[in-house]
Amino acid sequence: MDRREILEELKRVLEPYTENKELLRNINEQTDLVKDLKINSSNLVDVIIDAEAKYNIEIDFDSSEKMISVGSCIDVISDKINK
Amino acid sequence: MRNSSGNDLVYLPVTRSERTRLPRFYSRILTAAEVEGFARLAVSGLPFDHYVWLCWSVKESVYKYQKRLFPELVFAPLRIEVQQIDPPCGDVYFYAGIVVAQRLVGPTGVAGQTLCSRTWVRDGVIVTIVSEDQQFTDTHWGFSAIDSATYADQSAAVRKLALGELSSVLSRDDLRLEKDAAGCPIVLAGDQPLAIPISLAHHERFIAYSFCSKYVPEMRFSKTSAFLAKR
Repeated sequence: MDRREILEELKRVLEPYTENKELLRNINEQTDLVKDLKINSSNLVDVIIDAEAKYNIEIDFDSSEKMISVGSCIDVISDKINK
Repeated sequence: MRNSSGNDLVYLPVTRSERTRLPRFYSRILTAAEVEGFARLAVSGLPFDHYVWLCWSVKESVYKYQKRLFPELVFAPLRIEVQQIDPPCGDVYFYAGIVVAQRLVGPTGVAGQTLCSRTWVRDGVIVTIVSEDQQFTDTHWGFSAIDSATYADQSAAVRKLALGELSSVLSRDDLRLEKDAAGCPIVLAGDQPLAIPISLAHHERFIAYSFCSKYVPEMRFSKTSAFLAKR
């Protein structure tokens, strides 16, 4: 999967936790999950677990700490997919 | 250490209790020692999934407290450890905890810091505050239910609630809240930032605030709490 494909799948992962669907449609790699998308912090673990299921990967603790923005999420997911 | 304030709120009915009880979920929040620590709370009747969110709430509060002091910090629950948490007893209706934030993420390499926590758990609502002061002498806090769960309404309501309390204890009507570059809320009187660290939280139809009046002498005589007033 290239970064654009990961991004499109990531939108589906984030969808249940995002109130503003219009904002979600227009996310880019700079979009911050909490500050910009207003995802409640209590859902961040849900996002990681859902991403693991969506991409059939395991995201270790150190990597999960990096998943702050859409771009950093794609970095982590891409890295795990290509391992 | 400079002064700060941290709080958090979790509305349990919208958390997924089955998922929360899965090791693959809670192991991203609780350290092994914290999992073992749950046994000490058995007497309180607190379900395990509620315990997980209680610890989350404490850790998020600690993160907010430290984020103001170290803006580059990233929230990493496993780097903050709840070392002790005691169930409510007698007239004490809080879960009282001692928390150590360790090896926090960030270029400054922040050293461990010990903070105290108080957590209210009732009717599906978890509200936590943290402070360096075990007595929470200068900490003001409160929470309230609201009619809407949209982000905009939560944000507006929690600001209104916090400003109401701030205005009351400061006897000023020119206060407002903004966010600093790191996203931490700050209190301003007119255009002048005040030395009142404040923390805001919201989840679903509940909102909460905490602020510290340690360096505002005129506030120290008036430790009111909307939280306590509501009980």
